[in-house]
Amino acid sequence: MAIAARPRATQLLERAESLACLHDAYTEARKGRGGLVFVGGEAGAGKTVLVQRWLAELETDALWGRCDPLLTPPPLGPLLEIAGTWSAVADAFHADAGPYAIANALLNLPGAGAPTVLVLEDIHWADEATLDALRVLARRVGATPNLVVATYRDDQLERAHPLRIVLGELATTSAVTRLALRSLSPSAVAELAAGTGVDAAKLHRLTAGNPFYVTEALVAGGTDVPATVRDAVLSRMAHLSASAVAVVEAASVAPPMLDAALTLAVCGDASDSVDECLATGILVAVDGGIAFRHELARVAIEGTLSPTRRLALHRAVLLALTDRPHDAADLARIADHAEQAAERDAVLRYAPAAAEEATRLGAHREAAAQYARALRFAGHLSAEQQASLHERRSDALYLTDDQAAAIAELEQAIGHHRAADAADREAAARGRLVSYLTCRGHLSEADRAAARSIEVLDALPESLLLADATSAMALVSAYHGDDDASVRWARRTLDLALRFGDHEKRIGASIRLGVVHLVRTGDPVPLERTVADAREHRLWQLEAEAMHYLALGWSVRGANEHAERWIAAGLAHCERFELDLWRLALLSLRVRRELERGAWTEATSTAEGIVAEIRDSPEPRLQALLALALVRARRGDPGTGPLLAEARAIAERATDPGWHAPLACAEAEVSWLEGRRGDVAKATDTVFRHEREAPGSWWLGELAYWRRKSGIVDELPDGVDEPWSLHLAGDWHRAAAAWRAVGRPYEAALALSEAEDEEALRESLAELQRMGAAPLAAMVARRLREVGARDIPRGPRRSTRANAAELTPRELEVLALVAEGLRNAEIAERLFLSPRTVDHHVSAIRRKLAARTRGEAVAAATRLGLLQDR
Amino acid sequence: METYVILRRNGWRTADDLSQAAARSTAEGERMPDDVAWLRSYVLEERDGTVGTVCVYQASSPEAIRRHAAAADLPVDEIVRVADTVVVRPDPVVETV
Repeated sequence: MAIAARPRATQLLERAESLACLHDAYTEARKGRGGLVFVGGEAGAGKTVLVQRWLAELETDALWGRCDPLLTPPPLGPLLEIAGTWSAVADAFHADAGPYAIANALLNLPGAGAPTVLVLEDIHWADEATLDALRVLARRVGATPNLVVATYRDDQLERAHPLRIVLGELATTSAVTRLALRSLSPSAVAELAAGTGVDAAKLHRLTAGNPFYVTEALVAGGTDVPATVRDAVLSRMAHLSASAVAVVEAASVAPPMLDAALTLAVCGDASDSVDECLATGILVAVDGGIAFRHELARVAIEGTLSPTRRLALHRAVLLALTDRPHDAADLARIADHAEQAAERDAVLRYAPAAAEEATRLGAHREAAAQYARALRFAGHLSAEQQASLHERRSDALYLTDDQAAAIAELEQAIGHHRAADAADREAAARGRLVSYLTCRGHLSEADRAAARSIEVLDALPESLLLADATSAMALVSAYHGDDDASVRWARRTLDLALRFGDHEKRIGASIRLGVVHLVRTGDPVPLERTVADAREHRLWQLEAEAMHYLALGWSVRGANEHAERWIAAGLAHCERFELDLWRLALLSLRVRRELERGAWTEATSTAEGIVAEIRDSPEPRLQALLALALVRARRGDPGTGPLLAEARAIAERATDPGWHAPLACAEAEVSWLEGRRGDVAKATDTVFRHEREAPGSWWLGELAYWRRKSGIVDELPDGVDEPWSLHLAGDWHRAAAAWRAVGRPYEAALALSEAEDEEALRESLAELQRMGAAPLAAMVARRLREVGARDIPRGPRRSTRANAAELTPRELEVLALVAEGLRNAEIAERLFLSPRTVDHHVSAIRRKLAARTRGEAVAAATRLGLLQDR
Repeated sequence: METYVILRRNGWRTADDLSQAAARSTAEGERMPDDVAWLRSYVLEERDGTVGTVCVYQASSPEAIRRHAAAADLPVDEIVRVADTVVVRPDPVVETV
């Protein structure tokens, strides 16, 4: 055997830059500016080898956590592995802690003067909770003297891969660096092959410069190059004894490693051959057991197993694992072996248990996968048992933002409840379905589900199940704008929740009552109380919901400063607890507010952020598309068509009039601005007829205004809301004043654009030119010429440079606080921004000032005089 | 990426101002290579003695063009999307004033 080639092959070629980058990060961390380094590369690119070499050069140790290539990985697997070695982290796990607390515990590890290095390996296999912890690490590590290194395979990230989403989110976080390990060049391969007699050009061609493949091919010996990486690995096996082969095969079905007891239990006498396996280098000794030197080798060996051999091995491992004491952290691994061993009873016992553990740790994607695994083996269970699995899977899916799948799963549960004649449970499940349906705009379906639910449950003895139905009724009533009914149903829910002692339903009902009270009276106290109440019971979703409704309630009342304050506070909360659905809902409130106050640059960047979001949340996406289309039309920019077409496609799947009406208004306005007045009727006819019949329609006035402007004469009912009713009455000055009072300058200028007097027209024109509203400004300029005005201003020809580096006013504000030495989290608090937004501002500032660090940015700003007068 | 024509009428007092703006435009463009690519410009001799331009860009969106213009301090009068290109002859290269 060509053992002699091994030391040569482990030479680290063409990795000097990557090594230097890791060393730089370490130096920075030592100065208190920690970081997160992502090391990406294809399988076999040498990611682990690079990190090991770097640590060896530093002569330092790291805390290692590895993600496992299981169908459904154990939640927080790598962090649990680290916790096993560090009691400080282990404590955090006991205290009912989610990813947030655990990540913080890791960052607060007492270092001995030197940075603590955490290595998270193969995070492309990471579970959801680990990725959440990684997000937190990324945002916080910069302010600590610690370093996180995360390796991943960059060739296996399909578009919607959870890690890809995380990498995208963290792209602009200043503490994050990404390294990509490339394949070896022909000359590096030639250097490695020198003296072996192997044709270096052929070796490079076949291996495509993959370091692992190159190494294996050279170790295989001979002068021919194995045709695949698998052949290269298997050639090492050729000389092994039968019992050594048995050990290697057993290890191949039990990633990440076979501990000593497991080896003995599964391999029996063959365990004596472990040393032989280690001598070939296929397996390596790891802490407490044996493992493959590389995952590619494990996959190659696993692929050679016959189906019966594989089944027998999984059964043996399963038996050994369940025979000995195990804890919650082992459940996912046991469930995996149970399924691969086709052991039905074991799957049904361990998969739901693993799911519960995953839910507890916030790994909802893994929980859903474990329930799906159980359901694959659940055909013989009773209808009620199957319904329960479907309901639990639905809950998990809902928490991963997969609402469509959550709805489908709940519908399956309803079917099973019906088969079991469990009318009460069927009705309660229908009640829960309502909130999912309203989220996706399926309002008529939600109406039906709520009505059936209440009909059934009302006829049965009172129980907490009835609260699912009454809160569903409160919700759909609110969606129909019927506040009185909503309040009645919420009171009933509250009463049930109090009697049966359910905090979640109590707070949910109080939020509904609180928002109606706020909108009617302007008194926020009851609703604000629900925020504290939810926090006290650690019901983070409800806390987000209460904050969202505070923002919404205030903006309905036109109290924009309050609304903006709650949007910012809610966003910070959602980022902290990774509540993406509420985060998107708050962002869609923000985009509407930015559009209304004429902050078009901010509105488009918020909207672009929502549109780039991969998560499936149709309503915020619809709002963002409409905002982008309106800004383009008002600026006179091209490209409104595709945006409105996509918005139309989203609204067409929904029955909620609250989705169709804003779309119709936007389409009408855009058509009118683009000179396609004939299109206004088609865009608004259906919605207008519907809104004319709806009591107290919010949208009727605006629809009627655009229709009249386009020459359509409508009969209108009384009671159209101001300020649009003032437009319809031709009272332009009062309309403009009303718009200004609620902070909507564009609409104010729109009102004045129809006034008869020159002064009002000039005022309108000035405002429109300031906002860059070219098409409407051109129309007003034409009207001014018609009334005989002279010296019509052409508007600012160019933006005036606020400062040499072109920092925005917000960036200057952030910069001033950076100069005071505040950290991003503190700046976020001070300015009512989310930490992520502050991260963005700080990176923009560093980019514009060409500064690598905050210190350099402050120095550059001082030099340019940007910090004076503040 | 789509192609757009950007009108910047009467944008600069002198050709010298314009050449400084061109340098800023290039620098900002290099910072956002995925969003904007400057293809060419025609410098306009405006009747009032100032200088304007008609620029041809490729961009990911009109918003990207506006972001680039704001960062490089360039005026934007109008952005028009190009539906098709008919090149009859290559542009004549004229010595800039």
